[in-house]
Amino acid sequence: MGGGTRRTPPRLVTRALVASFLTVALVLGAVFGVLSVTVRDRVRQTVADNLASAQQVFTGVEARRQREMHATVATLAENPTLKAALDTWLTERKGASAATLEQLLATVQREANKIADRVSADVLAVTDHDDRIVASAGRFAAEWPRGGALAGVSGPGGRAVVMGQGLYQVVSVPLLLEDATIGSLHLGTALDARYARELAALSRGQAAIIRNGIVLASTLDAPVSAALSALGDGPIGAQVVQLANESWALQPLSQIDDVRFVALASIDAAARGQTAAAMVNLAWIGLGGVSLAMLGSIWLARTLTTPINDLSQSMTDMAAAERVGDPLQPSGSSRELDQLTETFNSLMRSVAAAEAEAEATYLGAVRALAAALDARDPYTAGHSERVSALSVAIGHELALDADAMETLRLGALLHDVGKIGVPDEVLRKPGALTAAEFDAIKAHPSAGARILRSIPFLAPHIPIVELHHERMDGRGYPYGLMGDSIPPAARIVHVADAFDAMTSARAYRPGRLPGEAIAELRRCAGTDFDGEAVEALVAALPRLAGAPPPLDPAVFQWAPRSRVSA
Amino acid sequence: MTGRRGAACVMAAGAMVVSMATSEPIAAQGGGAGRVAGVVTLTASAAAPSPASAYSRRSVGANARALPEARSVVVYFADIVALADLKAMRTEVAQRDEQFVPHVVAVTAGSTVEFPNQDLFFHNVFSLSRSATFDLGRYPSGSSRSRLFPKPGIVKIYCHIHSQMSAVVRVFEHPWFTIPDEGGAFVIDGVPPGEHTLVAWHERIGERRDRVLIRSGATSNVTFTLPVLEPGS
Repeated sequence: MGGGTRRTPPRLVTRALVASFLTVALVLGAVFGVLSVTVRDRVRQTVADNLASAQQVFTGVEARRQREMHATVATLAENPTLKAALDTWLTERKGASAATLEQLLATVQREANKIADRVSADVLAVTDHDDRIVASAGRFAAEWPRGGALAGVSGPGGRAVVMGQGLYQVVSVPLLLEDATIGSLHLGTALDARYARELAALSRGQAAIIRNGIVLASTLDAPVSAALSALGDGPIGAQVVQLANESWALQPLSQIDDVRFVALASIDAAARGQTAAAMVNLAWIGLGGVSLAMLGSIWLARTLTTPINDLSQSMTDMAAAERVGDPLQPSGSSRELDQLTETFNSLMRSVAAAEAEAEATYLGAVRALAAALDARDPYTAGHSERVSALSVAIGHELALDADAMETLRLGALLHDVGKIGVPDEVLRKPGALTAAEFDAIKAHPSAGARILRSIPFLAPHIPIVELHHERMDGRGYPYGLMGDSIPPAARIVHVADAFDAMTSARAYRPGRLPGEAIAELRRCAGTDFDGEAVEALVAALPRLAGAPPPLDPAVFQWAPRSRVSA
Repeated sequence: MTGRRGAACVMAAGAMVVSMATSEPIAAQGGGAGRVAGVVTLTASAAAPSPASAYSRRSVGANARALPEARSVVVYFADIVALADLKAMRTEVAQRDEQFVPHVVAVTAGSTVEFPNQDLFFHNVFSLSRSATFDLGRYPSGSSRSRLFPKPGIVKIYCHIHSQMSAVVRVFEHPWFTIPDEGGAFVIDGVPPGEHTLVAWHERIGERRDRVLIRSGATSNVTFTLPVLEPGS
């Protein structure tokens, strides 16, 4: 405001929109903040719970899988050809020719292949009493060469063994003949990435197979897997660990000797997913919220601006029309605005009252002036009031409207105000006037107009004052206007003035009777006077106080109207 | 452990074969034959330590009985050469209650073994062994098939229908062998005098060898204790 450039203040709608938008954005931001914290906490718990339940599922499934594998292998072990070939080979392997032994081994191998195919085994091995491999089959058979020792694996139940480069979980059953053990059949599951993927699918997360603290296989990304290896044998129970800058929930699934199976789930990744989902929802809510807030703001702003605009327009109109009379209608949109309207109206009433008072004061002064002027000559005392009354009577007869009547009344009252510039001796001179004296008399309408021009609210009356000596035939003064170019009000006042002048006494003559005056008026109708106005006066005369035509000026002391008397 | 015992058994079998191949034949002397008598004591069960087969022993019927383990031992001389006129024998291994009965038989080379099916269902008899590879096929209850065993050796017999069934036929090129009675006692008559190697052999437990001096008209006593390994070791 105080600066060099004065900025236009923003519109109310803009303000409301900005305010609502900021509010919604702030609320949404806070909600998002709180949400991401609670989501993270909840996700941590959920992830841990999921893994724990996955562990239970895994335990059940794994036990069942072990039983089924065991049953499967035990069934497969009842293979007569395999057993016969193995047993015969065991009996004869030291003495027979290589070709014969190879034939027996080939039989064992063929049976092993058939079995491995049937169960889609990672590896299936037949061993002798010493757990030396006689034959192996399956995807990883190459890691299980003939003659290799299956150290530590014997009897029923699964165990983990290292063969070649791989780690295997092995289910073994003895091959029996008449209750004697001739060897064993082993079904091995490779504990590799594929197995880790199966574990991961079971645990609904990630899985890792760890031996002596080293991750052998996992579904984890390389950096995370390396970080898990770096933890060594540390993590045993269910817990949260930091791997590659992320929080992971870790849940042991099972353990075979020094081989541990663990399920993992990234808390951060889950939280990211959940947060993203929440964000999408929040974005929709936010969009809806902002839209609603904007609609609300626009509606609110409109309920404010429309009445304010109306009010402001009314004031502008009022100012333009210079009218203060009509009160504004309350808009009914809000109590405050209605109050503002009411305050404005009462202010306007005060202004109107003050204006009326000022008008009355002026009017009083002008009337006083007119009366004073009339009083300079005893014979013309009360003249202005009488001309006013007569003019009003004529106007009433001519059915003028209220505004015109008011203008007429005041104009008639003031019609001779210009006589202030006419010297008393000229005014009171009983005899004939000289040309110069007559010129002085003729100047009074213009002088009156000049006086009234200084008072703005008397502007409508100026034509009456200025033109009340113009004649219908154009021989009047000061302008010599003719006929209809003379305003009707001026014509009326001209008739009333003449009538009062004729019926009033003068120092040098008595007042004429009204009938004579009317006859004179009628005689000069059309030339000097407006015929209509003359006839109107004739019609109105009997009603004027119901008295005989007044000779006494007191007859025309009409009770002034309230406005004038105020 | 099972494995090591099995290995020992295999090695013993191997040693036996080697000894048979390299020993100097001892000519049987006419008349004046001696006799050996003794007892085989088993100190370990030949049964599997923890059978975990999906099938429990499918012993059909209550009359199925476990044969005394001593009946699965063969006592024989390892280093006596065959006589020219080796007498052929005829014996039988029945299939009864899903078992071969007896589990072990010993015959002279050229002998015939009958395999009567005494069960109510089909059986099969086959062997993959070097000295007698054969398959008698499946045959029904009440019928029988037989097989000639011309070559000495260990012939392992199986049933292709019942995978746990097995039997052993030991074929010798001399008549000086026997299978102990249920108490483990055995006698071998008509043994040529001299110092010989006597073997007590069990299919799985292994074997024990002993040098025995056979004197004409006299009885030598031998006591064998099987197995090679102490139980639990």
